[in-house]
Amino acid sequence: MFQNRAEALALALPAAIFAAAVFLVPVLILLSDGFRNPVVDGVGGGWTLSAFTDFFSSSLNQTVFLRTLRLGAIVTVVSAVIGYAAAFAIVSLDPVAKGRVTGLVVLPLMISPVARTYAWIVILGRTGIVNQAFQALGITQAPLRILFSETAIFIGLLQLFLPLMIISLISALENMPKDAIPAARVLGANWFQVFWKVVLPLTREGLVIGGTLVFTGSLTAYITPAILGGSKVLMLETLMYQQVAVSSNFVAASVIAFILIVMSFAANILLKRVATARNKVRAAA
Amino acid sequence: MKTFAFTCGAALLGLGAAQTPALAQEKTLTISVYALSQDEYKQIVYDPFQKLCGCKLVVETGNSVERLAKMEANKASPVVDMAVVSMADALAAARAGLTDKIDTAKLSNFGKLYDLAKDPNGDGMSVGYTFYATSIAYRSDKMKIESWADLLKPEYASHIAWPNVTTNQGPPALFMLGKAVGKDTPDLKGAITAVGEKKDEIVTFYEKSSQLVQLMKQEEIWAAPIGRFTWAPFTKLGLPVAWATPKEGQTGGMNVMIVTKGSKNRELATQFMDFWLSTEVQTKLAEKFIDSPANRDVKVSDEIAANLTYGEETARSLKLIPSATALDNRAGWVKSWNEAVGQ
Repeated sequence: MFQNRAEALALALPAAIFAAAVFLVPVLILLSDGFRNPVVDGVGGGWTLSAFTDFFSSSLNQTVFLRTLRLGAIVTVVSAVIGYAAAFAIVSLDPVAKGRVTGLVVLPLMISPVARTYAWIVILGRTGIVNQAFQALGITQAPLRILFSETAIFIGLLQLFLPLMIISLISALENMPKDAIPAARVLGANWFQVFWKVVLPLTREGLVIGGTLVFTGSLTAYITPAILGGSKVLMLETLMYQQVAVSSNFVAASVIAFILIVMSFAANILLKRVATARNKVRAAA
Repeated sequence: MKTFAFTCGAALLGLGAAQTPALAQEKTLTISVYALSQDEYKQIVYDPFQKLCGCKLVVETGNSVERLAKMEANKASPVVDMAVVSMADALAAARAGLTDKIDTAKLSNFGKLYDLAKDPNGDGMSVGYTFYATSIAYRSDKMKIESWADLLKPEYASHIAWPNVTTNQGPPALFMLGKAVGKDTPDLKGAITAVGEKKDEIVTFYEKSSQLVQLMKQEEIWAAPIGRFTWAPFTKLGLPVAWATPKEGQTGGMNVMIVTKGSKNRELATQFMDFWLSTEVQTKLAEKFIDSPANRDVKVSDEIAANLTYGEETARSLKLIPSATALDNRAGWVKSWNEAVGQ
């Protein structure tokens, strides 16, 4: 498209400078706090990992770290399961209905997460509809305590990020050859085999994109864990906020920020690996 | 050409001259305040003051730690001219060299203040503008509260919210619980342990009191220690919510005004503080249940007084944590809390 690379680079330069100046540099400065030895009365300075060892030596921080990782993974897996079912149903609709239903799926993304999350406080409360329904159906005798628990955060995060998974899977399923499933059925595959051996490999990239979005979203969401979990069920993001806003401990906060960024990148790399490994197997076959 | 340049120059001068009075009017005062009740403050304090001084007020809001961190970051060239913070935060700001002594001679309303509000930390760096009681808001049809320790009774603990140690209400509530359980030390360890033992039952450790009204309304909680300044919304729920007077007494806190060291608008800041402390403004704020008055000339009806922390006797009877104790122990409180309650 361009005569030479220089032209292309020149065009990309303003955007690159902007991104570097307003994003990359501030983030690096902030993150570097986590690796600096604090100077106290002229003593100290230089680089150190002590902030990280301090962070992981606290049992509270370990609990919070594992909880964040666990909830992120569970939300991702569950949204993939529900997402596949929903995406299958949606792609099998006629074009008009498909457009409408996809619109409905996207709709929650246009509503403020604060409003959406506050609604859960009403719904999940001891006198909320979930508990009323459970008691009316005789499933429980006394109201369940759902609010301010991991379950509440899980429900909130799942609702928040499920649409991203569904949309990724819809486009993946649409790109899949139409006769792949009938062909597999004709050749004697049962539904499980159809999904595992045909659908999953062919839609793996959509799953990777959706999975990355959901996982990193769950790791970095703040409003949902803050409102539905509170300080009783801290996640890394709420802990980070507490370190900055309450304890003024910017070093611990940059350590958490660094951990979150590493976790996001790691998830992306891991999921991509899974996808390409599968592709290589297919290419080899 | 010369004529053209001259005309341009004259025009520019003219513009400059025309702009000078406008610029004078654009004098701004930046204040840093709590985010609560901003609509009412705008109506009662900010707008009338802007009219009076012909200046512009820039209002920054947030919790006190956020705001203090900002002041610390801008220490070299202060953005904020005056701030309102808690007594302990005022001492912290003074220790960090962020504040100046307040020229009380220039505050015409200073003499009208209750004695305890005149110099809460004894360093001349702050003036109290409101104080509040902290006690327990509770459902009088569901429970009976005679002591701070009653909140942790097995039949009640799963229906209460407790303030997180990191909030302004957290340490005072623990301070009183310590008295109730007979372990009354500045490190609050006895009280923190008692709360830690019930952490799974307690509904939530709240950070924002605004959340409690919703939780009380949907009967998620029956009781919570709260500051009197957040009491009014509970009375409008249509539920039998009462204000406890536990036998150990009530605790509370005082909010104070501080002026930033190096502020270029000291005169205006002092004028603003004086306006805020005036009997008229303090009365209006009291009548709307925003702030209990620190000005002893403020007279309100019994009905309004019932919703405030009102009068010198009340203020004197409050068991406040001394600012120095709070500052010197704060880090330890958070540490013990995280160990016993936070996980």
